[in-house]
Amino acid sequence: MILVVLDHDTTRLRKGALEAVSRARQLAALGAIAGLVVGENTSAVAEEARKYVPTVYTAEVGGYTPERWAAAAYAAAQKSGAQVVVAPSSRQSRTWTARLALKMGAALLEDTLETATDGSKITATRYSFLNRVTEKQAASLPVVFTAKPNTTPVAEPQGDGMIEALTVEQPAAQVEVLERMSEQKKGVSLSEATVVVTGGRGLGSPEAFAGVEALANSLGGAVGATRAVVDAGWRPYGEQVGQTGKTVQPSAYIALAVSGAVQHQAGMNKSKYIVAVNKDAEAPIFKVADYGIVGDVHQVLPAMLEAAKKLKD
Amino acid sequence: MVALKSHNMDDPEDWHKASPYKMKGWEMKFIAILRQVPENEARLKVEGGKVGLNGVTMVLDGMDEWGVEEVIRLKEAHGGEAVVVALGPERSEEAIRTALAMGADRAVHLVSEGYIDPITQAQTLAETVLEEAPTLVFTGGQQADWDSQALGPALAEALGWPSVTWTTKVELEGQTHAKAKHDLDEGQEIVRVSLPAVFTSQQGLNEPRYPTLPGIMKAKKKEIRKIPLSVSSKVEVLEQTIQERSRLNKVIDGTKDPVAAANELVKLLHEEAKVI
Ligand SMILES: Cc1cc2nc3c(=O)[nH]c(=O)nc-3n(C[C@H](O)[C@H](O)[C@H](O)COP(=O)(O)OP(=O)(O)OC[C@H]3O[C@@H](n4cnc5c(N)ncnc54)[C@H](O)[C@@H]3O)c2cc1C
Repeated sequence: MILVVLDHDTTRLRKGALEAVSRARQLAALGAIAGLVVGENTSAVAEEARKYVPTVYTAEVGGYTPERWAAAAYAAAQKSGAQVVVAPSSRQSRTWTARLALKMGAALLEDTLETATDGSKITATRYSFLNRVTEKQAASLPVVFTAKPNTTPVAEPQGDGMIEALTVEQPAAQVEVLERMSEQKKGVSLSEATVVVTGGRGLGSPEAFAGVEALANSLGGAVGATRAVVDAGWRPYGEQVGQTGKTVQPSAYIALAVSGAVQHQAGMNKSKYIVAVNKDAEAPIFKVADYGIVGDVHQVLPAMLEAAKKLKD
Repeated sequence: MVALKSHNMDDPEDWHKASPYKMKGWEMKFIAILRQVPENEARLKVEGGKVGLNGVTMVLDGMDEWGVEEVIRLKEAHGGEAVVVALGPERSEEAIRTALAMGADRAVHLVSEGYIDPITQAQTLAETVLEEAPTLVFTGGQQADWDSQALGPALAEALGWPSVTWTTKVELEGQTHAKAKHDLDEGQEIVRVSLPAVFTSQQGLNEPRYPTLPGIMKAKKKEIRKIPLSVSSKVEVLEQTIQERSRLNKVIDGTKDPVAAANELVKLLHEEAKVI
């Protein structure tokens, strides 16, 4: 049995959930698939989920805490007898799956690109060494793994599953949320964008990001930022790309006035094409760039915007 | 869960009463878990299907360094002891010495060679942490070699403690609680957490100090308790490869005519790469 924990936004399943279902289907040798919808408004989301998996468990436990998610997934794994638990990879899931693996006495395979089984082991590929190395790992069952976003085709609906509500023993709350500063994303999400336009400290001011936004908009892409820019308070943390931010893999990654530190590269070095604009011809970003301009971003960016607009007309 | 020793870790009051260090006058104890990893700029090579670290400069993991700095600051502000704990090969001692030179008081080194998956790391470290009975524990948000984010939350689970990941700020509220700010997938959160707890670090937490010469001299005399272990990993690394995309490196000079350069770049992206 395989359990898939289905990410949702309290009304619909997220894309990552449907990728995780595909991952579970690839492991058919290990038996049937059950899904878990955990959080708030789970019975409504379960109606969508039952189109993808034969059994849907719901766990109405309230807002996210890693302890609650781990407890719910553990209850569902026990109920279904699952030896493998799959979840879409995010910072959040990489926290609660660590707790779940411990509860299950399972091995944990994090942020996997591909997974397969021979019936007793799971093998997986993933990146390591700041995204520079690709490694193949193997672990005997039970296994908990997370699936990196945008690595797997989304699942097609299949049948009409049944829904079963689970009662989950709530762990004692040890963490109290006093305040949440959520960042509302407008437009294309950074992790899923096919074009990312990232601005670095060399832009000189938060105002200069108007040009970055305009270029991203005209290319149907998302805005990214370096840590230096986020630390300066110019851009929200949700836009940060790199080791301590998001990992992106777009078709085109356009880095404007970004030096290209290794920690930044850890979040973008798998992009299909990397484009750099920097006034310093020796900037490390040019070593990993496919295309680039050595020049002043304040002159090059407006001209790129003009040219991109002309392309659209 | 690791078996609880003589005192009840779920009850901070009981735990503080039971802390052996209280007797010696230590009020608080702060632990940072650290690892040694290749230096960021190090050129990695694969030998016989695995990343070979021979000849590679190894350093204290940058994310762990934030944790080390934080426990030293906590100790400076609240008294007590700042202890570093490492699980890793013999060579990790250099990274431990760096932490001691920064100002940590002493170290425990669980010596074990080879790859150990983060869940097993957590189970192994939990025993030492329980024995030390700290106020709180810091560890890096992500390991720079194995790219794992699991150690902090897995350690917390093994101890039955709460965890706060990607912490950018922490403030003690007496001995039983802490207020912390931390990053989510989108946005941030301020939480109050009961102690003891495990925190993982994030950039912005602090600016680590450089070890001073007197600090380095003093570190040579500080205690490193070595505990040899043989730990078997739940996860096996079968093969490692470095698949760097070969990049085109087509760089245009835009210093004289930025407009022409921009036009040419957009044209290449549209017609050659076909990505816009
Ligand atoms: C453990 C750790 C984790 C980290 N994680 C991350 C992370 O997740 N993401 C991240 O981004 N960083 C991260 N960092 C920080 C990283 O090391 C760099 O400091 C950061 O990426 C630099 O940001 P930047 O390129 O915007 O700024 P800088 O390095 O200051 O580069 C600015 C660039 O702009 C160019 N420039 C200046 N003016 C102009 C102009 N007018 N026109 C054109 N070009 C111009 C300069 O030549 C320079 O190359 C991390 C660091 C550590 C230690």
